[in-house]
Amino acid sequence: MESIKRFIPILKKKLLGHNISDGLIYKTAVYVLLIAIAYVFLYPLFRMVSYSFMSTKDIINPEIDWLPIHPTLLNLKIAWEVMSMPWTLLNSMWFAGTLALAQTLISALTGYAFARYEFKFKNFWFMMVLLSFVIPIPVVLIPRWMMFSSAQNILQFKIIGTVIPQLLLAIAGQGVYSAILILIFYNFFKMIPVVLDEAAKIDGASNFQVFYHIILKMSVPTIITVFLFAFVWNYNETYVTGTFVRQALKLMPGQLGLFDSIFSDKVAVIPGAPGGVFRLSESYKMAATMITMAPMMIMYFFVQKQFVEGIEKTGITGE
Amino acid sequence: MKKEAKIKKVKKSKKNKGFKEISNRSGYKFFMPWLIGFIIFTAFPFIYTIYLSFSSVRLTVLGWETTFNGIANYVTALLRNTSYTPALVQFFLAEVIYVPVIITVALILAILMNGDFKFRTLFRVIYFLPVIVISGSVMTQLMSTGSVQIGNVRGVFIFQILESYSPILADLVIFLFNNFAIVLWFSGIPIVLFLNGLQKINTQLFEAAQIDGATGWQILWKITLPIIRPIILVSTIFTIVQLGMFPINPVYGMIQNAIFDTVAGLGLASAYAWIYSFLVLILLGVAFLLLKDHSKDYAYVDVVRLQNEKLEKMRKRVRRQQEWNAFFRKQKGVKHGKH
Repeated sequence: MESIKRFIPILKKKLLGHNISDGLIYKTAVYVLLIAIAYVFLYPLFRMVSYSFMSTKDIINPEIDWLPIHPTLLNLKIAWEVMSMPWTLLNSMWFAGTLALAQTLISALTGYAFARYEFKFKNFWFMMVLLSFVIPIPVVLIPRWMMFSSAQNILQFKIIGTVIPQLLLAIAGQGVYSAILILIFYNFFKMIPVVLDEAAKIDGASNFQVFYHIILKMSVPTIITVFLFAFVWNYNETYVTGTFVRQALKLMPGQLGLFDSIFSDKVAVIPGAPGGVFRLSESYKMAATMITMAPMMIMYFFVQKQFVEGIEKTGITGE
Repeated sequence: MKKEAKIKKVKKSKKNKGFKEISNRSGYKFFMPWLIGFIIFTAFPFIYTIYLSFSSVRLTVLGWETTFNGIANYVTALLRNTSYTPALVQFFLAEVIYVPVIITVALILAILMNGDFKFRTLFRVIYFLPVIVISGSVMTQLMSTGSVQIGNVRGVFIFQILESYSPILADLVIFLFNNFAIVLWFSGIPIVLFLNGLQKINTQLFEAAQIDGATGWQILWKITLPIIRPIILVSTIFTIVQLGMFPINPVYGMIQNAIFDTVAGLGLASAYAWIYSFLVLILLGVAFLLLKDHSKDYAYVDVVRLQNEKLEKMRKRVRRQQEWNAFFRKQKGVKHGKH
């Protein structure tokens, strides 16, 4: 009895802690909640993976919830064929890569101008950078589309349906989320001491030499972060791409969006696909979705630190 | 000889311009590409769309031909077209319901993960993953196969009570829960921002409050939230903009279809785009007014001004005292002198 009585306060302290937030009960509750929400976050992905390995039998079987009894790779194979892999992936890679390169370069220049120089209406233009993020794309998309299509008519040169419109937009600093990329560079360049610039200038370096030899070479990690973000956002972009490129160039998200119609056109020629009467099963779609996501997921697996810290580098949380 | 002259010339021009002006000019060199791009591809289109929305636009052999036709496009968009207004309403409701949910969830998660917490990196990586993989078509496919629906709310007892009271409210709740996982996917970036902001708060503030006897709840409302209020504002604006860009929003698709619709023409598409943007701007404005940092307007400035006023008063008093002292001394001196 005595020992139990002595034990109670110790137990109480262990469970409830000095503060509630130190106690075991609170900590367990936090972990349970966080894991539960993480489950909700990942639920669509789990479903996707589970579906994409299910055979038609498993999908119809109401007893099977997660683990397929007759796992099959046929879905992946069919989705692979329908999306005309690996060419689609290669297309997407160089498409997003080119745009991301252009965006990185231009946001570095702009970020540097804002971080280092004083010029007229600087604050106004900075507001405009932020505003260009807030403006809904459709408003500016229509005149942009008119420009490019009339340029195509005048120059007699294929512009719509190629990478050119978006490349021009990227070079002009008006690509996907350009404002955020500029912010990342702006904040990083502000942290580099001005003394370095001045020292180089005294030694006779021109402004561009300072920018190239001093600033850019110091900010390789930031450049990589910005490039990765630009790459992912350009890879996943569907709206502007859907307007300017449409189906002329086979890109991953675009092909996924048209999956149903391509599937019904192609299904007869795919080896191993179910012939005769069938319905477009969810497992094909999910397999295709998985193929679309996979490159980005693999990349994220290796460089997640750059991504998470990149958002912190925007500096909007205040320094 | 020639070289010397050249050097002299350069020196002269530099003298005239001054260092600051020269560095300004090269600032523009770095800034020019963006500026030109912004004017051509964003500022001009933004204004031009207003003009387009009041005219009918046709593609002829000679190029684009626009003729002014008043508010006809707006009438068509809002009154004649039966699918635009419902799409707009759906978008509006989605924003109004989803944004607070997303921000609240992100904030709660960030607060829970803040402090002495072991697997922060792991959870942060999980919560950030959607930002990397989400795209319009991925979202459409996931939603069309029902992969985002966790359980069915319709069966829950409380929900049935709600439905019998107010079907509209019930529809909204269903709307939220059917896409709950996808909705949470939008909180990836806000979580990282909040977490980063929370970790920058000086812990001494919390200690001081605890010593004064504040509870955890009070600390949350009186210290944490006011400090990260600007981040809440930024995240809210970001989320409002983000939500518009994905297939949760039916209006984007409609505008895109209207662009390629040769019969109705780009005028109608512009009207669509402008009505939509107006709505988004209103939402952003409301968010800004609600979450704007009020404390800076008066509290901080007032303290400084009060202190200055007090100091000034004290200085005046001291000065007056000194003057009186001097006066008395003089008077005394005069008296002594008289004697």
